[in-house]
Amino acid sequence: MTAEKAQIKLTELAEDLVSLGRRKGADEIEVSILDGYEFSVDVRLGKIENLVEAGSRALGLRVIKGKRTAFASSSDLSRETLERLVENAVKRAALSNPDEFSGLPSLSPQRVDIHSLNLFDPEISKLNSKEKIALALETERIALEDKRITNSHGASFETNEIKAVLANSNGFLQEYKQTICGLSLGLQAGETDNRVEDYWFSTKRHFHELESPEEVARNAVRRTVRQLYPRKIKTQKVPVIFEPMMTSWLLGFLFVCVSGVSIYQKTSFLAGKLGKRIGNSRVNVIDNGIVSGLLGTRPFDAEGVPCQRTVVIDKGILKNYLCNTYAARKLKLKSTGNSTGTGVNPNNFYLEPGEASPEKIISPLEKGLILIRTLGHGLNPVTGDISRGAFGLWVENGEVVYPVSEVTISGNLGEMLNNIEMIGNDLDFRSPVCGPTIQIRELTVAGE
Amino acid sequence: MKSHSSLVFEDHFQISQADLQKILSLSLSRGGDFSEVFLEYKTYNFINMEEDIIKETAESISLGLGVRVLSGEKTGYGYTNDLSFKKIKKAALTAASIASSPSLQTASPLRPSHLQHNFYPVLRSPHKETLAIKISLVKNCYSAAKDLSSKIKKVKVSLVDQTQHVRIINSEGLDIRDSRPLMKLICLAIAEKKNKREAGYSGGGGRVGLEYFAKTLTPEEIGQDAAKEALELLEAVLPPAGEMPVVLAPGHSGVLVHEAVGHLLEADFNRKKTSIFWDKMGKKVASSQVSIYDDPTIPHFRGSYNIDDEGTVPAKTLLIDRGNLAGLLQDRLSARLMNMPFTGHGRRQDYAFIPIPRMSNTYIDRGEHTPEEIILSVKKGFYAHKYQGGQVEDSGKFTFSVSSGYLIQDGKLTVPVKQATLIGTNIDILNKIEMIGSDLEFGLQTGICGKEGQSMPVNDGCPTIKITRMTVGGQN
Repeated sequence: MTAEKAQIKLTELAEDLVSLGRRKGADEIEVSILDGYEFSVDVRLGKIENLVEAGSRALGLRVIKGKRTAFASSSDLSRETLERLVENAVKRAALSNPDEFSGLPSLSPQRVDIHSLNLFDPEISKLNSKEKIALALETERIALEDKRITNSHGASFETNEIKAVLANSNGFLQEYKQTICGLSLGLQAGETDNRVEDYWFSTKRHFHELESPEEVARNAVRRTVRQLYPRKIKTQKVPVIFEPMMTSWLLGFLFVCVSGVSIYQKTSFLAGKLGKRIGNSRVNVIDNGIVSGLLGTRPFDAEGVPCQRTVVIDKGILKNYLCNTYAARKLKLKSTGNSTGTGVNPNNFYLEPGEASPEKIISPLEKGLILIRTLGHGLNPVTGDISRGAFGLWVENGEVVYPVSEVTISGNLGEMLNNIEMIGNDLDFRSPVCGPTIQIRELTVAGE
Repeated sequence: MKSHSSLVFEDHFQISQADLQKILSLSLSRGGDFSEVFLEYKTYNFINMEEDIIKETAESISLGLGVRVLSGEKTGYGYTNDLSFKKIKKAALTAASIASSPSLQTASPLRPSHLQHNFYPVLRSPHKETLAIKISLVKNCYSAAKDLSSKIKKVKVSLVDQTQHVRIINSEGLDIRDSRPLMKLICLAIAEKKNKREAGYSGGGGRVGLEYFAKTLTPEEIGQDAAKEALELLEAVLPPAGEMPVVLAPGHSGVLVHEAVGHLLEADFNRKKTSIFWDKMGKKVASSQVSIYDDPTIPHFRGSYNIDDEGTVPAKTLLIDRGNLAGLLQDRLSARLMNMPFTGHGRRQDYAFIPIPRMSNTYIDRGEHTPEEIILSVKKGFYAHKYQGGQVEDSGKFTFSVSSGYLIQDGKLTVPVKQATLIGTNIDILNKIEMIGSDLEFGLQTGICGKEGQSMPVNDGCPTIKITRMTVGGQN
């Protein structure tokens, strides 16, 4: 009952502020409210370290007057503060410059069926603190049974329940609820001066889909101990196999480069390439915001544009940039439902899987590197250049022979998209941006 | 400043001193041994200019409090931005539940105290200046970058200013406040020549007022600096790959100290024995020329604070003393568990986070050599100038992404180089520091450090440094 009552209040608050903004002279106004509840527990070496539990709310608004834009946000949801923020925003808008591309999207006749997206798991709120703590403790306990593990960064279990409300002066008013839960574990192996470390995690919207403590622990152990006693290698150019987590990282960089915002800002090497070949015919990349139950799924974006399935790269041809309303207007395209407000976000952004199992990709490799982790920054969307610290497994005649550390990999995303030779069948939607195992024909690996 | 800060809290937190005292007692009701309330009110303003227009401005308010209870090694935390007594009580009980024994401690009566120093006195407080004046700073920076060359095709400038008011009370009777200004003007410039495109970046700021942009670093200098870097990178080559002597430029290269040393001297990683340094206190970990400090008390620096986010008055902390490991960055929890003195390095992003040991302004102290003699000593090597950032793991393995540098040939800086990665293991590299310059400088005053999901403003610095050999990642 009380939850229901609070719900009515937030949509009412959003509508009231939209009306207030119009009365104060805004041509257009958009109000978004997030109402969240978070729980997290960190355990380490069998004991609780941190326990956090809290509810919090935040409100954001955008005002447009005479094609001039102003934003505001607040975690103080008192009427007095919010009314002052609306008034200030209308006044501040006058100090920006008019921008013909500014403004809210018009109200879409389409609506995504929120229920079918399956974003909310009522089971999560039924878990009690003891059960949640036990999951984290159990995960770490299983991992510590392995004698090769010499220290632990600890295990965590966390849950989030978030309600989002969006209203605007074009008549949009919708809300939806979502849940997320996650179990993770970080480990070290080896003695102090020969330490290696890694982690594993599972994050899902539905509790029953979460990997078990055994699975998380087993993966964290396997990923950590396989790096023990690494060698350095000589600087050379070799084929490089990306594990799914590494393909996901590469896709994250690709997302920045196909974002409509980077394109109109000319900060992407893919500007001006729409309709052109940017990769070989094996490469298909999709952004899909409406797959049931996935982490990147949402009914509408931050501007109320319905989410959709967008083909980004089709058999190597760049088909679409991912746009918010502003970038779309600049580029004479349509919004793809990726708005975060001024920026864009991936929904579920992924490289379509191929046929080969990861083993089939590794076994024919005569000599090369399996990339398992990277460290650092070193991504330049303006040029597509990549340069990063890397950890890997050295492969000879189809077999992993030893781990490798203190190397860097460098290449160029544009060239890499043309050099993807094999694509695995192991896409798992572990995160909103993801991909399967891939093999790149050649990258520079710098070592000794 | 003090009176202003007081007013801020009475305006925004309508909770009486007596009720706060009740909250502290309530949070110890389950047997915790320490409790604390962190109250925060933060205002933030943002201006963005690109494509020759002021695209948007933003204003943001953050208001809330967090209640923390310590019980041995355990921390309970609850926070709220609904400031009704009922919700604050709920946060306190959430935090309290970390302990499960009879209540032994009571909260001492609060003793309001005042700061004895102010490391960031400002003449022209950003939140008192008009938006129009701040917009003119942005425009000046923008034009300076754009007008430098017709090859500059795109410029983006943003100005951020914020004022964070904090009040910290705890069960030991502490009741203290701080008001922290923070400004940042940053410029991105993109240069183009025949299908080639490169980006340059610059910025400035700190815990300063608007007078900084008239006296210390002008918007025009920031704009020109970004544009010059972009233009120079148009002529840059890809870096060589392999092991070679590396010279680190002063100032910007402070990111090396931050990543390779600072993080792993944060007390939590040593208490948990995950840091490679945990068993090396007092031992030699670096070349004997190397002394490293973290100093939260440098006036107007981005990483400075009058009190840390646990209310501790901070101190300049010696981390490495002529090559020997000498100190750790402590917060209350680790200091207590390790039985070591507080250093005032417990920081948190905002009221929704637990404080953890963090760096402030970290630097390698100056040495004896002139920068010229250092570069002259290298026959063939790499000079690292500006960075995109770096990352380290507890084993001591780190990387830095160099956005621009130069080749060193026969003791001279020659061809500009772009996009290189430096990689190494910290103790190995610290021992390979062969020469240290007398030219200590600090970075751009725009740095942000991330740890466990919390972003903090930091700064770092170093003189010119020569490393005997280091792996440079490149394509050639």
